[in-house]
Amino acid sequence: MSSPSIAPSRQVTLPSRAIPLSWVLLLALLVHGPLLLMQITNDSYDADFHKFFAAHYATHWFNPWNEKWFTGFSQTTYPPMEQQWMALFSHVMGLNLAYIFVQLIAILLLPLGVYKYARIWVGERAASYAAIGSVLLGSLASLVYVDGQLSTTWAAPLYLMALGYFYEWARENKMLALCKALALTMAAASAHHVTLLFASVIFTIPVVVTAIMDRKREGNDATVAGVVIRSAIFAALSLVGIIVVLLPYWLALKANPIKQMPIPHGSRENFFSQGWLAVNYIIVPWGAMLLALPFIFLKGLKESRLRPLFIGFWVTMIFGLGGTTPLPRILLGMLAGVVNAITGANVHNPFDILTFERFSFWANLMALPIVALGAVVLIDRYGRKAAFVLGALGAFSVAMAVSWPVYHPIHDAPFSTAEVVSFLNRDGHDKYRYLTLGFGSKMSEVGIYANASSVDGEYNSARLLPEMTQYGSAQLTNSKYYGTNGIESLRAVLKHAEQYGLKYIFVRDPYYEPLIAFAGWRKTEVYDRGNVSLWVKDGIPPAHKTPYGTPPTRMEGILWGTLPIGSSILALVLVLAFPDKRRKLETIEFPLTSSEEPVYREAL
Amino acid sequence: MGRLLAIIFGALTVGLIAVGTVHGSKTTHASTPDGAVQAMFDNVKGHDWHGAYAFVAPSSNVDEGGFTRDLAGRNGSLRTYSQLDSVNTRVLHESENEATVRTEIKYATAVGASFETRDLKVVKDDGTWKVVWPAEKEVNVPPQVIPVNYLRWDIIWRGAGDDWGAQNVENPNCRILSMHAVERDGALIIMGEVVNEDTVPAFISVGAVLTDSSGKDIAEESSFDKLSHVLLPKEVSPYRIDFPGIKKADVKSVRMTHNWMLVPASADPVIAVLHQRIEKDLTGRTVLKGELLNESGQIVNIPHVLATFYDNGGQVIWVSDAYSDHALLPQTPQPFSVALRDDLAANVHTYRVTVNHYSLNSREN
Repeated sequence: MSSPSIAPSRQVTLPSRAIPLSWVLLLALLVHGPLLLMQITNDSYDADFHKFFAAHYATHWFNPWNEKWFTGFSQTTYPPMEQQWMALFSHVMGLNLAYIFVQLIAILLLPLGVYKYARIWVGERAASYAAIGSVLLGSLASLVYVDGQLSTTWAAPLYLMALGYFYEWARENKMLALCKALALTMAAASAHHVTLLFASVIFTIPVVVTAIMDRKREGNDATVAGVVIRSAIFAALSLVGIIVVLLPYWLALKANPIKQMPIPHGSRENFFSQGWLAVNYIIVPWGAMLLALPFIFLKGLKESRLRPLFIGFWVTMIFGLGGTTPLPRILLGMLAGVVNAITGANVHNPFDILTFERFSFWANLMALPIVALGAVVLIDRYGRKAAFVLGALGAFSVAMAVSWPVYHPIHDAPFSTAEVVSFLNRDGHDKYRYLTLGFGSKMSEVGIYANASSVDGEYNSARLLPEMTQYGSAQLTNSKYYGTNGIESLRAVLKHAEQYGLKYIFVRDPYYEPLIAFAGWRKTEVYDRGNVSLWVKDGIPPAHKTPYGTPPTRMEGILWGTLPIGSSILALVLVLAFPDKRRKLETIEFPLTSSEEPVYREAL
Repeated sequence: MGRLLAIIFGALTVGLIAVGTVHGSKTTHASTPDGAVQAMFDNVKGHDWHGAYAFVAPSSNVDEGGFTRDLAGRNGSLRTYSQLDSVNTRVLHESENEATVRTEIKYATAVGASFETRDLKVVKDDGTWKVVWPAEKEVNVPPQVIPVNYLRWDIIWRGAGDDWGAQNVENPNCRILSMHAVERDGALIIMGEVVNEDTVPAFISVGAVLTDSSGKDIAEESSFDKLSHVLLPKEVSPYRIDFPGIKKADVKSVRMTHNWMLVPASADPVIAVLHQRIEKDLTGRTVLKGELLNESGQIVNIPHVLATFYDNGGQVIWVSDAYSDHALLPQTPQPFSVALRDDLAANVHTYRVTVNHYSLNSREN
């Protein structure tokens, strides 16, 4: 038997041109598709929160008043776009798969957004590398698989794409680019309010400055005044559009300004004060990007065109460090001071309300164009070895972020809420309100499937019950993690059980049993092989409406059910119906003798 | 230029982190007596028991295990459901080698905030201050058999399949014995006593609704945990209902709300109250002190003491309560302390203490 013949190896060369975006999207699908289908993201911190909102939209599309949390609250307090898409898809594939599908769309949008944004500063090849980098970000994996920040991951790529079109409008006066930029901006605002308030500004300022610097570039002949005026037009139209699209949100905010006492959050701590904070908020989200920091600093400040982007990145990175540096607290305090001086309001320092992990994600996105330039240099110099190492580092970043909850669990051991839901949905038990203790984010799962109303809820900004807003604690179900504030808030709610019709308490954590036993609840049933116990208080009258919060008007409901999702459909139609003009590239001879970026000329 | 800018931004980043870290650092050192106490409790807060024990003076004669159990709790007591919240220290007396530090400790417990004041002796040991930790005596109850002969009431309710017209067991007869409203510290407080007049145990809850001169309800509150919710036959419990922010002048009438129902119950465990007396505590506040004795053979994990104070006319003039952070071991006295308002102390003629309890193995929880 002869030995098998071995074909002579072919010389495989690495592309010295841009990676096609279709390949990048395929990579995103290959990396995140299996992880999403494994439903890892369904166990993330906020996943059930989004599903809870979506479940309401699925059955009450034009009525955003939801009585299942906080004895009643308006869902107009949270931008609805991705949750409404989930609601639509849930009719076809169920809520869990709809969440995965909508999250996948956000992940696929991200390389498109990063590519468009990176193209402002770098060539097509580097922009395509930046797009690849966006798929392998530890911060993305962290937000998707640990935090469940669906809205942040949706809004960011939409803003990045919008800014790519805004850049074209500002320099080249293209009306179609303006329309696309506006539609995408409104869609992004409909996806997430915090991204709207902070990231939109952070992402935009470097683009405006660069547009001014680039006014004469690539055959353009714009003036500074022209760029500034077009930027102002875009800002004004965006502002009007955002006000209109999210009108019920602004009305709800005006009617009930957020009065919540500051709630402790790890992202506001000094990350070097405890080891796990450093891992959770620096090492995991930044991953291999940490190795690129020296290059980002050097390259970002060496080239004048990159400096606006670098400074934007640097400020965002400092914000991403939360309480590690004093700068975010000082700057946000100054911002609150300005707002108070202008409006006469009494706005507290937003530092105590914001959470800062998303800033690391935004900083990563802004760093990608610069990092991609480094990748170009490395691949040109070291070929496949560099590509392999960079790919491995990216894969490691994703793996580390996805696996972090294994080493630092965010949930207790899994347990079933089926019997809890079954109890609440039978024999008229939904006439009363209920509370869960020790359920974590499973509280939202109960809320999705149970007909009964709870005094608790997962969205802190929608809380109006004074027993909750007066104390610096978040969900009642997690009271013990907020020290004295948490338990005092829980005591205050339990004291008013009669007023709220709070008859049933489901206890997952025996820590809470002494309090509710002394307060007069009695253990009556046990579920899920002893994991959950039901405590009942007799003599509680059936629940009735509480005076906290006003349901949105019918017109607000109609606006909420049409404009936010409508803006995303409009953006989709504009982008698909009027695709970007393809740029014709010069043929680049191989092997490359220079590491310089090739000069691109636009096709006529 | 670019390299210089990179160095400047890099230095700025490192500088900001350094400022934030130094500014936010809560590290305390044992270079002063109160610093030693703070440093010890900082470690306790972080559950670094070994680190905390490093600040304990060798003369304390307590091992690390005993020290940890003192602070982390034992026997499923309230302390085991607690997290150290904050510590305030004040040096009462200091000499070259010895000092006394008043330490006010606040715990976040499963039933609310809990406060403790200790005067800790601090001594200098090899140039650093160390805390003399008075070890708690761990009581070992000798092996014995404790016969119990207590009453227990079980109930068989009407089943779903029973004939139409079948009678259910009746609810017990209970009565509010007294009701007295006072205004204290910006709150209207309604207090009194309730009795189970029946021969079966009752589960009770008492609340009140305040109405103004126009007949409109202005506030509704319940007695929450300032009441014994399970009353055995003929048993009396005090109750107290607080209305924060309500003035007595704004209230036209009070409508008492109550609910009594039959529940299974047992008279076990029997907790005796011994050596009650009114005196001043470390901080000079008036307190009712005494000892609780668990006469049964089972551990009572969390005792809750309710004290009723009467004037010489027999009227309830104050009701206060306190949770003990120590479990009641069988046949072992355990001290308790309940606060009494200083301005009422002179009017107190008699007092009565009742004890609620939460036990991990109780069938009534």
